[in-house]
Amino acid sequence: MKRGGRTLDRRHLVGFQKATMLMLAGIVVLHITTIILLLVATIDNAWWVTDTVSTDLWGRWEMKGSVWHYTNLKDYPEDYLQTVQATSVLACIFAILALFVFVAQLFTLPKGQRFTFTGILQLIACLCVMIAASIYTAELHSTDEQGGYGHSYVLAWISFVFTFLLAITYLVLRKKSE
Amino acid sequence: MLTFLALASVVLLGIVPEQSQAIVIYTGWERHALVGSDIRLSCSFFSWRWTSEDVTFSWTYRPDGSRDSISIFHYTGGAAYVDNKGPFRDRLEFVGNPSRRDGSILIKNLEFSDNGTFTCDAKNPPDIVGRPSSVRLLVFEKVPIQAGVITGAIIGVVLGLLVLIVVIYYLMRFLVARRVFSLSVSKHGKKKKEGSQQRQGPVPPADPSKIKV
Repeated sequence: MKRGGRTLDRRHLVGFQKATMLMLAGIVVLHITTIILLLVATIDNAWWVTDTVSTDLWGRWEMKGSVWHYTNLKDYPEDYLQTVQATSVLACIFAILALFVFVAQLFTLPKGQRFTFTGILQLIACLCVMIAASIYTAELHSTDEQGGYGHSYVLAWISFVFTFLLAITYLVLRKKSE
Repeated sequence: MLTFLALASVVLLGIVPEQSQAIVIYTGWERHALVGSDIRLSCSFFSWRWTSEDVTFSWTYRPDGSRDSISIFHYTGGAAYVDNKGPFRDRLEFVGNPSRRDGSILIKNLEFSDNGTFTCDAKNPPDIVGRPSSVRLLVFEKVPIQAGVITGAIIGVVLGLLVLIVVIYYLMRFLVARRVFSLSVSKHGKKKKEGSQQRQGPVPPADPSKIKV
């Protein structure tokens, strides 16, 4: 059945009920929060922290005397480190893409359909974060005695959980059909 | 006309002020090599003058951690003189072409003691004012992976695959809509499935095919 062009969006947005709007807002807020968490995890320097060292995927802060110095990472297996870098950057990219695709699909998806493309992108982001955090846990700092995981590492795992929930939500959610 | 141009360029070259007539020497910045392999250290220069017959190239070597440099190669008067008593005896070869302003040397069978800085100095009389340029040689047992190569490769491949899959998906949909392909699914089922897939880009003009029969 051919509809009159793309004026669906205006009529349908007006037709949404309040609860649906609220749920929609909630999902978008959660998605944006997840993107922010992913970005902080990738960029902020706190994957592995000790008293005098704070390190992440890109460089390392060392305290010499009482001054912090930024140095290159050392003693890391180079290939694993670069894989972690690549997958965490990819997770950010896919999460941001998923947000844009979700907004686009809100307007263009036919009624009663699932947001599969968004869900798939979000699932790939989830997979990438999982790969990044797992490789980091397994290969790097597995033999260090002192120190612990910093907040960026924790945020990476939290965003894994969030992306997974969001992916399931998108794959299950159907566009409201009047 | 041509002779006029030639004369003009010669005159212009002659009246270019002295300060701009410095010779500029180019070598690499850093070279990585495996122990036991050969490496070619390139050196070339830029000069406002024509390449003279008395052009000279010389290479000196300063080991890592030392403050003295020794001379290992000199080319002058059309003949190349390579190191025959120093650390590179029998391992150095001249592979450059002085008339093309190339003064590169080849070091064979690298050892760990070859780590250091190689400096190339070239002179193109009367253009002799210039700074020698240095290249640092690093000899490895195993060439390390450069920072970011694997990262970039993984990101590039994944994003490329994503773009490819999306393009192929839309291409298939477009081709099916245009009836170039005919899939053996019932007309009703195929059209209903077609019409209800998510749409994001411009809808192909062949919309009449979506009308249910």
